Amino acid sequence: MIFATGLICDSARGACGKGRPRVHFFFQELLNGLVLGSIYALVALGLALVYGTMGIPNFAHGHLYMFGAYAAFAAITVLHAPYWPAMILAVVCLAVLGAVVERVVFRPLRKAPEVNAIIAAIGLLFFLEAVARLIWGSDFRVLPTPYDKVVNLFGFIATQQQLIVIAAAFVLMGALFYFLKRTLLGSTIEAVAQSPAGASLVGIDADRVATLVFAISSGLAAAAATLIASISLIFPEMGFVVLLKAFAVIVLGGMGSIPGAIAGAFILAFAESFSAAYISTSYQDVVAFGLLVIILAIKPTGLFTRAT
Amino acid sequence: MKRLKILGSALIVTALATTGFARAESSSVINIGFTGPLSGGAAQYGTDVQRGIELAIDELNINGGISAGGKKYTFKLVSLDDQYRPNEAAINAKRLVQESNTPIVFCPHSGGILALEGFNEKASPKFLLAAYSSEPAILRQNDNLVFMMPPRYDSYFKTWTALEMKRFGKRLGLLPTTTAYGNAWKSGFSEAWKSAGGEVLGDNAVDYNTTADFSGVVSKALADKPDVMLVGGPSQPTALLMKAARDQGYMGGFVMMDQSKFEQVAKVLPLAKLDGTVGVFPFDRYNGPGVQSFKAIYEKKYGKDREPNSEVVFNYMGMNALARAMSLANNVTDPVAIRAKLADAVRSLPKSKQALSLRGLTPAGHLQFQLQAEIVDHGSMKEIDIPALL
Repeated sequence: MIFATGLICDSARGACGKGRPRVHFFFQELLNGLVLGSIYALVALGLALVYGTMGIPNFAHGHLYMFGAYAAFAAITVLHAPYWPAMILAVVCLAVLGAVVERVVFRPLRKAPEVNAIIAAIGLLFFLEAVARLIWGSDFRVLPTPYDKVVNLFGFIATQQQLIVIAAAFVLMGALFYFLKRTLLGSTIEAVAQSPAGASLVGIDADRVATLVFAISSGLAAAAATLIASISLIFPEMGFVVLLKAFAVIVLGGMGSIPGAIAGAFILAFAESFSAAYISTSYQDVVAFGLLVIILAIKPTGLFTRAT
Repeated sequence: MKRLKILGSALIVTALATTGFARAESSSVINIGFTGPLSGGAAQYGTDVQRGIELAIDELNINGGISAGGKKYTFKLVSLDDQYRPNEAAINAKRLVQESNTPIVFCPHSGGILALEGFNEKASPKFLLAAYSSEPAILRQNDNLVFMMPPRYDSYFKTWTALEMKRFGKRLGLLPTTTAYGNAWKSGFSEAWKSAGGEVLGDNAVDYNTTADFSGVVSKALADKPDVMLVGGPSQPTALLMKAARDQGYMGGFVMMDQSKFEQVAKVLPLAKLDGTVGVFPFDRYNGPGVQSFKAIYEKKYGKDREPNSEVVFNYMGMNALARAMSLANNVTDPVAIRAKLADAVRSLPKSKQALSLRGLTPAGHLQFQLQAEIVDHGSMKEIDIPALL
């Protein structure tokens, strides 16, 4: 029993307060919040990247994420690939799918009003969901993971997979940051994001950058999906669940800002897990989204706004 | 102008064709209505219910349909999607009755059923409501045109409370899903637990469909040190929640609401981790005289990739009973006449159609059989007899 190792209370029931080892409970919830924040961050990164570079709120991002989960699932169950190669395969598949989506759906709309791209993204979302239901049915599926063991970190409980999600979130955030800031290819994305006209003046091909951005964003979604699906479930509507939260996260962080997305993810996650822990699980979304409203009322452009 | 003419004549032709078609059909085909979730999160559930009805209809039609009043009739299922929404279910039911003349409408969710009970006796034309939901309130609406197929969930409260309290203790933690069904279940079971002398701890209901990770809510619930936890929602998220509890060292019992099914939960969680869990009777243990033939015809139509479950089998039995009632009533259009013969139809349903041994129909329209549940007791699954609530 984990509560036998509580830091303040002894193991006897009701020995202090309502019998809760308070400090221990706080850190357990902190760990839970960290897992949740990593999940939100992983999904929000790709969304922020596409919005930041191209100004498209990609409502289909959650569904690309769902396709990523199914791709990994297929790789593991049909091709019998081990976990990590399955993830790489899913990332490659989704990168290609993302590039195709950009080329077929969004590029023809680049000169059209912004609302056209939004409608296209929503249409894409329903299309992807219908295709997923056609291929895989509506069943819930479980992505097998070799990292299913429970780890006891100084009395705090997490599964290996949850720790991998946290680690992977930080690795992927770091890698994306490095790519955008320190590589030539990444700099071209930054350049287009800052000034599409200026970028084309110095010879950057905006079409290629757009394809690249969608490929990276979708690949990230696939990586996120493979990591998260092992602690959650795979089903055709799984994209909706994370999409709403991911949008809240990037609005909170400042539309299109990568550091903002990361900060927003952890703020939302901690608000949710601590309000659930100390107020009530029924109010966790109320508190989390209430906080969102308050932050936006004070700083309407979000926490991190790109300097223009 | 020419184009307009072509369009006009095309319209006339289509109109003629469709009315002619409908007329030809209504002479010998009985339309059976279904409104349920066919897309969205509960699509699989709705499809299973639909499959049960379809399976019965196919079988009836292959054998030449039914005869009523000296005439032969076959059946046709008309399905509309309501995405689990009560308001959509109500609109669908009206459409089914008015456009397709369905004397019977199947609905597999309590919200929709309660909405339809508001008007199924008053609508013109009236319709018989075939309800697949365990919500006891369905029977309290004084609806003379309802046929409730599954066992009501409050049947389980007393037996499950006694078993779990005896083995694990008196402290009950609440972690059900946040749907209307989950709330009703939670308050009903809490009452039963309290009246047996138990203590009900804080409410940690959580939306099973939108929660990405259950660890947080489980930590919260465990901080109250429950002996037994009430869990339940769709099977797979329920299994994840139970897994999170076991991962965090919880050793107590689980009361699993009847929406969650052992056969699905066991795919995520090994039996050892389910020890002390009570839940509804799993389909693979159904022991009625007709269960083998049911499995055979299911596999013949749908193949082996998706196994049948209680959703399919209850609606299969229900549709068969309704068809028989039409035959006994010598009437295929009047829901009152059909309902009047339903108890006889259930009693005389051939054994080959009974995947569970049926015992009849209550005056309120509730299907009866020897109700059982299941408990995981020190590594093995055991049956529990549940006394019927009338």
